[in-house]
Amino acid sequence: MGKAALIAWREIRWEIFGDRGSVLRTGFFALLPILFVVSGRGMGRGGPNDISILILALQSTLIPALSGVALIASTFTQEKENGTLVPLLASPVRDIDIVVGKLIGMVAPVMAICAGSLTVFYVLGSFVYGADRLRAALPGEILFALLVLAFLYLMTAGSWVLIVAAIVRTTRAGQQISGLMIGLSAAIFAVLGVAAARIADGWALVALGVFFVVADVVALEIARRVWQRAEVIGRL
Amino acid sequence: MIDVRDLSRSFGRTVALDHVSFRVEPGEIVALLGPNGAGKTTASRIIAGILAPSEGDVLVDGISVRADPGSIRVRCGMVTDQPSLYERMTLRAYLEFFCRLYDVAAAARRTEELAALLNLTDRLDVRLGAFSRGMKQKVAIARGLVHDPPVLLLDEPATALDPETARSLRSFIVSLRARHRAILLCTHDLDEAQRIADRVVVLYRGRVAREGLTGALRADEHPRFVVSFTGDVRVALDMLARAGVNAEPAAAENGYAALRFDADEPGTTNPAVLRALLESGMRVITLVREERSLEDAYFSIVAEAGERGG
Repeated sequence: MGKAALIAWREIRWEIFGDRGSVLRTGFFALLPILFVVSGRGMGRGGPNDISILILALQSTLIPALSGVALIASTFTQEKENGTLVPLLASPVRDIDIVVGKLIGMVAPVMAICAGSLTVFYVLGSFVYGADRLRAALPGEILFALLVLAFLYLMTAGSWVLIVAAIVRTTRAGQQISGLMIGLSAAIFAVLGVAAARIADGWALVALGVFFVVADVVALEIARRVWQRAEVIGRL
Repeated sequence: MIDVRDLSRSFGRTVALDHVSFRVEPGEIVALLGPNGAGKTTASRIIAGILAPSEGDVLVDGISVRADPGSIRVRCGMVTDQPSLYERMTLRAYLEFFCRLYDVAAAARRTEELAALLNLTDRLDVRLGAFSRGMKQKVAIARGLVHDPPVLLLDEPATALDPETARSLRSFIVSLRARHRAILLCTHDLDEAQRIADRVVVLYRGRVAREGLTGALRADEHPRFVVSFTGDVRVALDMLARAGVNAEPAAAENGYAALRFDADEPGTTNPAVLRALLESGMRVITLVREERSLEDAYFSIVAEAGERGG
């Protein structure tokens, strides 16, 4: 997987940190948890309750992940539009290295932003609502679960978006379809999460997690097959 | 060596290539010519191992593109008509990235070698987005050469290059031929093809309309000659008509009159022309065969292919 790592490194170094727009967007995500904490102060006397704090933390973690899905879609469609995919496919790199490399190259920085956003929310919330409130509402295992949830969401939605990106021709079409998928997938995640939390004392959540991992593997395999270079080149 | 064998490729109902065969030997430049949509780019992509054939096969150094496209990609260097660069990267980072994709041992050294070769050393740490179109095309060429491939597939490599850069690119391609590279040049630039190609393959609607040595293609099936002489053109035309030769006035050169005539059998016709002119008291200065340009030959081949229905 050395070449997948090389492709991922290129994406992170040059397409994310080499782009002022990307850096500005990252700065915007750092502001989000500040806004959430400030808005939480207005939630009744004494600030938000534990559930409200959990929801604000969830939003701080998942909103960057939602935008990450759109980023994954555009990374492929932009390469198709710019023609940069042809030299990449002409090199001795396996199809799976390209798919995995691109996915890691997008997922790793977005996960870092999710973790950073959650950290900012936690630190700022500790000052505003009190450290004990935060510790009680967001114990370590909940923080970990939030990050795992963001990762699972990003991988699942990202893998399915890759399939869409292989089929569409333009960045615009890719963004429109991925926007639709972001909305749908967020709703499906929320509904399944709520339903699973009420079944078997929350153990169904574990089954849901396993289901998402299986969905990731299936989506990645489909993405790899759809992304076979002969088919991709044929569509260019 | 490239050996294209009975190659076909369809996209849905569209037939891009229809049983195409040709070869490119090491140390040879073959120009793949044809109008837009003739199948040139499809052919070069199949040879490069990035597009699967529908039928037939391509062997590169004896390796089948169907059986082992990965090994084919190691042996081929591809230069596309559009530079298609990652414009946020610097030249150094870009070439080193491709060196590593191709498992080139000393990526940094190879990058500097290629930059020096294409006169881009002073731009190594500049972002590619700031390069001119000509410089970007040079970078695309460098990218195709990072692994020093035995086979080069050049798809319109001189597109948008200024005449000086295009000329130095031609010299560079010729120098690669001297190093026994097999070079397939897909181009619309017939002048470029005439200057450097050893052989020409003309594609028309996915089929090979004509294949042959560049010189042989330029040689017309109905050779034409131009005779220059001192004397009156009308008298000369009359004399040639009596000798059974249909001629027409040609542009006068160096003050001499000139006539052009077809000679399917030059051994019979040319002495008859000379005799007729000399017997009427004219002094013959030159008698030369008129060569077609590759452009003339190309249009004639394409027109014939069109008449045959592709």
